[in-house]
Amino acid sequence: MTSTGEAVAFWILAPIAVIGGLGLIFARKAVYAAVGMAMTMVVVGIFYLILKADFLGIVQVFVYTGAVMMLFLFVIMLIGVDSSDSLVETIMGQRLAALVLAIGLTGLLFFSLGQVVFDVTTVQAGMDKVVAINASTGNVTGVAELIFGQYVWIFEVTSALLITAALAAMVLAHRERIRPKRTQAEWSAKRIRDNDHVAGLPAPGVYARHTAVDTPALLPDGTPSAKSVSRVLVARDQVASLDAFKDVERHLHREIEKGSEK
Amino acid sequence: MTTFQVANIDYIAILPLLIVFGTAVIGVLVEAFVGRERRHTIQATLAVAGLLAAFVAVIVATGHMGLTLGHVDTATDRHLFALSIDGPALFMQGALLLLSVLGVLTMAERLGGTGSDTFTPSGASTPGSQIEAVSARAGLITSEVFPLAMISVGGMMLFPTVNDLIGMFVALEVLSLPLYVLTGLARRRRLLSQEASLKYFLLGAFSSAFFLFGTALLYGYAGSVYFRDLSQAVSAGPISMNGLLVPGAFLVFVGLFFKIGAVPFHAWTPDAYQGAPTPVTGFMAACTKAAAFGAILRLAYTGLDTARWEWTNGLIVVAILTMVVGSVLAVTQTDMKRLLAYSAISHAGFILVGVIAFDQKGISSVLFYTVAYGFSTIAAFAIVGLVRQGGSEATHLSQWAGLGRNHPLVAGTFAFLLLAFAGIPLTSGFVAKYVVFSAAIGTGGATGTGLVIIGIVCSAITVFVYLRIIVLMYFSDAPDDTVAFVTPSAVTTFSIAIGTMVTLALGVLPAALLDLADRSSVFIR
Amino acid sequence: MSTGMGTLVHQGTYAAGLAAQDGEAHAATGFTAYAWLLIALPAFGALFLLVGGRRTNSFGPVLATLLSWGSFVIGAIITISMMGRAAGDRPKSVHLFDWITGGSFDVQAGLLIDQLSICFVLLITFVGSLIHVYSLGYMQDDPDKRRFFAYLNLFVAAMLLLVLADSYLLLYVGWEGVGLASYLLIGFWYHNPVFATAGNKSFFANRVGDFGMTVAIILMFFYFGGVDFRTVQAGVAGLQGAHQGVMTAIALTLLLGATAKSAQLPLQSWLGDAMAGPTPVSALIHAATMVTAGVYLVVRAGPIFEASPTAQLVVVIVGSATLIFGAIIGCAKDDIKKALAASTISQIGYMMLAAGLGPIGYAFAIFHLLTHGFFKAGLFLGAGSVMHGMKDQVDMRRFGGLWVMMKVTWVTFGLAYLSIIGFPLLSGFWSKDKIIEAAFVGEGWRPWVFGLAALIGAGITAFYMSRLFFMTFHGKRRWTDEVHPHESGLTMTVPMVVLAFGSAFLGLILGPTGIITSWLAPFTGGVQELHPVIPESAVIALTLILVAIGIALAWMMYLRDEVPQAAPRGNLLTQAARVDLYQDHVNEALLMRPGIHLTRSLVFADNEGVDGAVGGLAAFVGGTSSRMRKIQNGFVRSYALTFLTGIVAIIGALWVIS
Repeated sequence: MTSTGEAVAFWILAPIAVIGGLGLIFARKAVYAAVGMAMTMVVVGIFYLILKADFLGIVQVFVYTGAVMMLFLFVIMLIGVDSSDSLVETIMGQRLAALVLAIGLTGLLFFSLGQVVFDVTTVQAGMDKVVAINASTGNVTGVAELIFGQYVWIFEVTSALLITAALAAMVLAHRERIRPKRTQAEWSAKRIRDNDHVAGLPAPGVYARHTAVDTPALLPDGTPSAKSVSRVLVARDQVASLDAFKDVERHLHREIEKGSEK
Repeated sequence: MTTFQVANIDYIAILPLLIVFGTAVIGVLVEAFVGRERRHTIQATLAVAGLLAAFVAVIVATGHMGLTLGHVDTATDRHLFALSIDGPALFMQGALLLLSVLGVLTMAERLGGTGSDTFTPSGASTPGSQIEAVSARAGLITSEVFPLAMISVGGMMLFPTVNDLIGMFVALEVLSLPLYVLTGLARRRRLLSQEASLKYFLLGAFSSAFFLFGTALLYGYAGSVYFRDLSQAVSAGPISMNGLLVPGAFLVFVGLFFKIGAVPFHAWTPDAYQGAPTPVTGFMAACTKAAAFGAILRLAYTGLDTARWEWTNGLIVVAILTMVVGSVLAVTQTDMKRLLAYSAISHAGFILVGVIAFDQKGISSVLFYTVAYGFSTIAAFAIVGLVRQGGSEATHLSQWAGLGRNHPLVAGTFAFLLLAFAGIPLTSGFVAKYVVFSAAIGTGGATGTGLVIIGIVCSAITVFVYLRIIVLMYFSDAPDDTVAFVTPSAVTTFSIAIGTMVTLALGVLPAALLDLADRSSVFIR
Repeated sequence: MSTGMGTLVHQGTYAAGLAAQDGEAHAATGFTAYAWLLIALPAFGALFLLVGGRRTNSFGPVLATLLSWGSFVIGAIITISMMGRAAGDRPKSVHLFDWITGGSFDVQAGLLIDQLSICFVLLITFVGSLIHVYSLGYMQDDPDKRRFFAYLNLFVAAMLLLVLADSYLLLYVGWEGVGLASYLLIGFWYHNPVFATAGNKSFFANRVGDFGMTVAIILMFFYFGGVDFRTVQAGVAGLQGAHQGVMTAIALTLLLGATAKSAQLPLQSWLGDAMAGPTPVSALIHAATMVTAGVYLVVRAGPIFEASPTAQLVVVIVGSATLIFGAIIGCAKDDIKKALAASTISQIGYMMLAAGLGPIGYAFAIFHLLTHGFFKAGLFLGAGSVMHGMKDQVDMRRFGGLWVMMKVTWVTFGLAYLSIIGFPLLSGFWSKDKIIEAAFVGEGWRPWVFGLAALIGAGITAFYMSRLFFMTFHGKRRWTDEVHPHESGLTMTVPMVVLAFGSAFLGLILGPTGIITSWLAPFTGGVQELHPVIPESAVIALTLILVAIGIALAWMMYLRDEVPQAAPRGNLLTQAARVDLYQDHVNEALLMRPGIHLTRSLVFADNEGVDGAVGGLAAFVGGTSSRMRKIQNGFVRSYALTFLTGIVAIIGALWVIS
């Protein structure tokens, strides 16, 4: 029989899990979605713990929330937090239909599952069994016995999935190096042969109070040199604007003038 | 304190599976350690050798039928076995292996290049980019397709063999994941291929979710994932639990319907068939369908047999929709691969009619149909892949005009295969339809008869579709001479020839295979 | 009972005969056990010529002809050995192999050689072989001759399979094979779109027929538990009375198949178009052999039809309507081949009428079928010979006075012509007269309606055939300038002479002597005495008077008066008949029009005329298809929506049901 504590915990946590799930779907920002999912998974982990499946609960939090979701977050961060797809729906009636159907399915399942009456003794017997095994064999050992006993084949075959995943990642994402990598000496020789910046590219701008790779150097006529900053920064539009230094420069100039007056 | 029960393993019985998965793993190692020049040959040879060896193992395994990889729980007398090596399972395994041999052979077609002609040299390169061109020139190959295909074959063989819902889910994923990847690796029209792959993957994930949800509901119902327990729970179970059983059963079926391309879960089929490299399409059409029907049979006849009344109506609706939509939509298709995709959908509907028979005849007719259809379809797609215009595949129907005059043998073979799809006598298609329909009539009662009549009307519609292609090939003029049939190497010729000959042989003398199917139609659970 | 071909022996598969039969067909012994060679020889020929390709160009046609004759010889030997046995011992079965046996599926492939099938075997192989010989000459200059002969051989093999099969399923295989061969023959010159369209039209009509056949076979399987003749016959006996509706359904679906194959109303339209095919040869092979398949089916399935008087009545109505219909069309056609095609439709109508009359008519249906095979073949070969001499012209208004130039053709054609109109003592007289008499048998209104239809049909036949004969061979020469008529070569004339003999004497040999009726007695429940509502002699006299009037009319209009070289406007009936009594218009109005704009909306506008010929059904399907296609819009989210719709709808439905 469900204890009061369990019921209370469930009714508090379940809405959180649902909110997390909804957040995954509806959040506009990928990071929020990922965090929403992590939240749901943590709650699910807690449910496992409540159900006396200690090992599973911990593993759920460790592996899913800790490892998988964090990996997700890293990937999202790498791709760019701001990158998001267009959310404008172009198919007429798609959203409405989806909404109606989602409500319909939910309604059907509520209707259908709501009619179910579980046999209390059977449920209690199952729970008692878990508690008994936890006490005698131990939770971790119990799971291990299942995995390496009756479910050993499924456990082993799952490895095929992992192999597929690794192979697929290689096929779809790994670009084979077609030519051997150039050594520094070769690059240098090439540069001299092509007469391409033999003396190297200009260094970034060095200013009295500001020295950074994102600051372009100035050419003799006062215009910034594009070659002096990394093109990655140019592409990302992260090059510092020179206007910001103008005031500083003027200020410094005035100070110098003041100093010379003294 | 319970004692740990070691799973009993009959290694001979699971040898075919071990060989296939083992070959796949060896293939991965080959990929890592063998030079690029020799990789294609070694991989293709290895795959075919592995499949043939596994086929021999299947024959050996027929002496070791029974449940394996698990144990009997003495306290409750429950049979906790992961695999059921029985007639239908071994029949499907054998059929899948032979079909896969043909499939792999068509995939291995090089047409004079360094690697498979239909697979991109570099899957990671952006379509149309310089890197792609350079990779092609540098002779890069994607020979990973062979281990991927082998893993998929392993999953397919496992699909009708598993004895519980979790195993079925894992098998479903093992067979699907490699297919998603293979679909996206076409050499030509790569954007289409990648789009197809993504669509297939997304919808596949969608359907897997339903399968899992259904599994959860059924577990809630029966307290076990084993088919035997499930069946017994239904016989004993109270009505009050039906709220779990009805949606659970249907949702699990949805996952399987998706794989056979049954309407309304079919939408991926034309896109994926069109986008995938043509040999992969043939492989998918033949093998996935066979494996999924094996799984449907196992689920319907061993797991949910006692709950039949709860879900048969759903199956009937799906079967009708599948037949009608598949045949009707085939009429207006302009692309050969899409057309064959819709044809595949309608065939799935016909086979579902056989499932509804609910007796041994139903099982054996479904087994027969999937095999007969598989051989024809692999050969048909192999031919489609070789009709080229300007280097790329000429899949638009208008490009097929007048093919009969320029390439009589090819067009004749293709026309014959189309006649088999249409179910004209003296082809395997006729016998297949006959056995399926007569099984449905024999034991399906009035519903069965109704379904059969719809089936006949639908096959009449599809006849027009196939006829139109034949007319196009023979009775109209070629727009120009640029559409040509590329002469393939011996391997593809071999698979086309075998596919066609089996189609003919099963039409003229189907007795041997029917007999085998009939003897293989008893499930063990 | 032991035999050299031990493996081929199969004990008793068929209760011979359709009516009261005591014995079963015993496994064939002696030479009859080799009956499979009948089919195997031409089948081998077709395969060899098609697979052998150009290498067989030189000797292929001759080989095909020899193989066909080989079949005839085997058939003849089997017939002789059959004649040597007592009537009850004549039917023999030859077990070929276990065709579809998967434990619970059980269909044997076997042949049944009995009095009925052997008649057809002789007709098919004999006439078929003559056509082969004739084609050697006619197709001499065609570069694709080899392929043509392969198709001819295929046709013969399939036709033999059709008549020799011992189950409806195997019969269906032959049925489809004949359809395929016919499709290939009609469309043989596919460069010509008209021919190709004709091929498609025939294919369409036959698909409708096949649908009927399929449903019939499935119903048989369902109600009788088997599809071989014996099981079905036993099943009919067992179910009689209780399942009247079932019998009617099976009989009518079978009839649908028969009407398609035999070009009967309402599926007759393809035959006329098929005559547009490249050669009179292909026209002939349809006219003389293929169209008889429907009659064979109705006779073979006799017990089923007899169990359902409704279905029998429908057969009779179809037969008499078609015979009048075909005859009227025949009066207006100027294309010699199309006129002959119309005549074929009309003559098959006679046979159908006889077959629908039940046991009293079976023997005469088959009898007329045999004589018709000869005289119609003679007519077609004659027409081909005329065309050959006239540079492939077919318009009879450009013929005339040919009898001087083509004596052999004139005489042979003349004999066949006299035979078809029922000139006394010639073959057609014996067979047609018997059908007319049989049509007058019965009670109430039926004998009067059907008898009169048959009688009037005979008169019209005399008119249009005389018209055809006079316009072609007599009267003024109306040739175009470039033609120089000449007699054809020996390979063409010899078959014509042979057929002319058949047209003249076959009836005399088989009819008045009672050979045909006693030979087929097991099927007709003994030799039937006819008791028409008006005396036999009166029937004969009336027929002859009508025939004479017909000839006289034709003489007045086409021999005494000048035949205009351009067709005159003619009265309403003539105009209607010229366009096949508006059959295409009816088809169009009922089926095609509503669908035409949908057809146009098809993305793939099929300019091969398939959709046009296929008509409104295809347009409807196509229209639905193109509308449904929009759901497949390429967006995954939309696909997922379809998916979800399916789940919600079906789960909802499941709940509602349970």
